[in-house]
Amino acid sequence: MEAFAQSIEGGIVYTWVTSIFWLWPMMETLHFIGLSLLFGGLIVIDTRMAGFFRGVNIAATHKLLPWVFIGFGINLTTGVLFFFGDPMRYAVNWGFQVKMVLVVVAGLNALWFWVRLNKDMHSWEPNADTPGEAKVVAWISLIAWTGVLLFGRLIPYVGTG
Amino acid sequence: MFEWLENTSVAIWVGESLWAYPFMLSLHVVGLAIVVGILSMIDFKLLGGFKGIRVGSFLPLMKFAWIGFLINAVSGVFLFTSQASYFATSTTFLTKLACIFVGAILTKVMQGKLVEAEAAGTADDVSMKGLAIFSLLLWLVAIIAGRLTAYI
Repeated sequence: MEAFAQSIEGGIVYTWVTSIFWLWPMMETLHFIGLSLLFGGLIVIDTRMAGFFRGVNIAATHKLLPWVFIGFGINLTTGVLFFFGDPMRYAVNWGFQVKMVLVVVAGLNALWFWVRLNKDMHSWEPNADTPGEAKVVAWISLIAWTGVLLFGRLIPYVGTG
Repeated sequence: MFEWLENTSVAIWVGESLWAYPFMLSLHVVGLAIVVGILSMIDFKLLGGFKGIRVGSFLPLMKFAWIGFLINAVSGVFLFTSQASYFATSTTFLTKLACIFVGAILTKVMQGKLVEAEAAGTADDVSMKGLAIFSLLLWLVAIIAGRLTAYI
């Protein structure tokens, strides 16, 4: 990762991000808005899938997914630009590394849901308890994304090599 | 008064301990995600989204949002103490605080209206689009002002 970081430092995107002084704070603000949408949608979806808030129709919770994807899209875009704007700092930062591992874990967990549970979900009782496997997926998602928030916020304060 | 606050043992702990400040900041972002995340989803519902989910079924989640609010009130006070006299004179910080104050009252009002409508069985017909937009705006400005407090 450090070799990759070195290769983009000084490049076009790096120069663009670092040359506009208000871009960084604006992207940080967008990153906070994005995380609110991503996490907000997932709290509703995952807490219901973990068996809580049973008044909420379980299959209908997926109507919130577009907001989750919009939030993810905003944060992927701003996140990639953060990395390009300060590659050497992120590459060696353990807060960033743990955060990225957790994003991958959350992604694989979502894939697990999609492959194994997504079709069945529509046949579950709308307001009943959920299967054990669904609960596991839901808790992994909640814990992984909470970890993403915690470690993401630590990035400015931990090991920069 | 703010200088006194900065010199309390709590403020000195937050300011000088290696982990207290980043730890409180981390909690603060989790609380933010819970509060703004849940409340914005409820606002989108009130604006006509998420067909198939009853408005009233969001009420228990609204209670959960207050847990996020509590996390941020506590972590926020800790963060405030460490640089009290700076925060107290920062216009952007005071803007953020005003948005949160009004946002909390608004949430309480909206919650009250929804509880009443749910009890009467009319929660799905309740019309609160204006309040929902106001709520979204307040949390948006709170986030913008909060982030800019670090820069201005």
